[in-house]
Amino acid sequence: MIIDPRYVLQVSGLHVTVNTAQGTVPLVQDIHFELKPGRVLGLVGESGSGKTITSLSLMQLLDRKTTRVEGSIRLNGRELNGLKADTMRSIRGKEIAFIMQNPMNAFTPVIKIGDQFIETIRTHTSLTKKQAFELAVTSLEDVNLPDPAGIMKQYPFQLSGGMLQRVMIAITICLRPSVIIADEPTTALDVTNQLQVLRQLERIRSEYGTSILLISHDLGVISEMADEVVVMQHGRIVEKADVYQLFDHPQHEYTKKLLNARPALQINQPTKEFVML
Amino acid sequence: MSLLQVKNVTHGYGSSNLFWQAKRATVLDDVSLTIEHGQCLGLLGTSGAGKSTLGKVILGLEKPQKGQILFQGIDLYDTNASTRRHLRRDLQVVFQDCYSSVNPRMTAEQIIGEPLQNFESLSPNEQKRTIGELLETVGLSPEDMRKYPHQFSGGQLQRINIARAIALKPKMLILDEAVSSLDMVTQANILTLLKDLKTIFGLSYLFITHDIKAAYTISDALAVMEKGELVVQCEDKTQFLQLPHPSVQRLLQSILSEHPRSRSL
Repeated sequence: MIIDPRYVLQVSGLHVTVNTAQGTVPLVQDIHFELKPGRVLGLVGESGSGKTITSLSLMQLLDRKTTRVEGSIRLNGRELNGLKADTMRSIRGKEIAFIMQNPMNAFTPVIKIGDQFIETIRTHTSLTKKQAFELAVTSLEDVNLPDPAGIMKQYPFQLSGGMLQRVMIAITICLRPSVIIADEPTTALDVTNQLQVLRQLERIRSEYGTSILLISHDLGVISEMADEVVVMQHGRIVEKADVYQLFDHPQHEYTKKLLNARPALQINQPTKEFVML
Repeated sequence: MSLLQVKNVTHGYGSSNLFWQAKRATVLDDVSLTIEHGQCLGLLGTSGAGKSTLGKVILGLEKPQKGQILFQGIDLYDTNASTRRHLRRDLQVVFQDCYSSVNPRMTAEQIIGEPLQNFESLSPNEQKRTIGELLETVGLSPEDMRKYPHQFSGGQLQRINIARAIALKPKMLILDEAVSSLDMVTQANILTLLKDLKTIFGLSYLFITHDIKAAYTISDALAVMEKGELVVQCEDKTQFLQLPHPSVQRLLQSILSEHPRSRSL
């Protein structure tokens, strides 16, 4: 494959299979997509359509014993598929970072946030503990969390879901990765927190030029943030289009079905105007 | 007589220590509401507003510190065990997390059969037939009876939970974030199912959610909770959207755009 400098992340012919007692079962097939610098690519589909499997295979986080990942995943021109676990570990977090759906499960419950934060920073850089602490505090400030030094001393369970999700975003951005994979970043949050977290992501994109792969089943999230959208069904990509194109002229039947499944709230437009008055 | 009356309920959590009452968080502060027969009340609010606690108090799972819950005119917490059991038959619940609301070692038949065994004395054949009918009502097939929870998807399992909740033909369902963890297509399907069940069985719902769109789709009346207080109550949902109340406006502002053209970020 030709390496194209226009793309940060280039995925082609991605094929993931899992070995079960009944034989090999394909999970996702024929996945092709590219991510440009500073752009947001939305990945939509209902549960079970292979969105998360795709993201996990990009991060090389699938169990190597039971699953097989074929195809090419190029990050800044470097092939990730088949890299040794050690090498991959040094890339993960530094060059490609992951925001998980459930912030409550993503942290170790018995270690203070500050220690988890500093550990991540020091794994990838040669900063001293003090420097790492300062970097951590600055990036907590970046995501608009009140009293960052206080949060560093707290345990994960002492924060709310929305706050914890912002801590996760802070950890993700402090090493300035070129790609962030956000897997359902707002699904576990309530509507008010949802908007705040999306604002943070949007700001990271505009300030640092980070590319974001935004995975969601919520077309509202996609329509707020994505530049381009990939629609997945049964482990395959069924449609790939510009976000305006997709909302105005959906081509595939499944995309139309997804668009129609949104709970109708025609009041949306008039009330937005009402708010502005 | 209203089906459900919540009268001035106040409740809080907290631990008392040996010498004095430690700090006590008030979760519900003087909450009153009524739900009529066949009505669906959508209860909105951010996380931590006390929505779920109110649900638990109404279900009889958490005795409130002050106030009354009148279900069909009888105080749920001030009656004898048998009346209470009888009342609870008409008051069922569906929770958000469908996987943790079922026993993973029970088949769908056993799960749905449990309330039937508790309240009705049906012959094994009759019970099997009822369960088959219930599965069909919620859009599954009677063959699914033999399956275990892990063999169902989230949406299917939520349907099983709904089947269990309606097994005894209750008068009222508490739906505590019942569609929040499902994807959009499944969510739309479950909402349609709930709407249909409401018309068929004349059910009343207390629909607890943070999703104003879902609430608007299914409810007749809407209410908003904030920090344990019921700040807005509106009998007609179409008027709700025009209310100038700040918490209503906050909710409306938090709605994500339906089209990239109307982005709010």
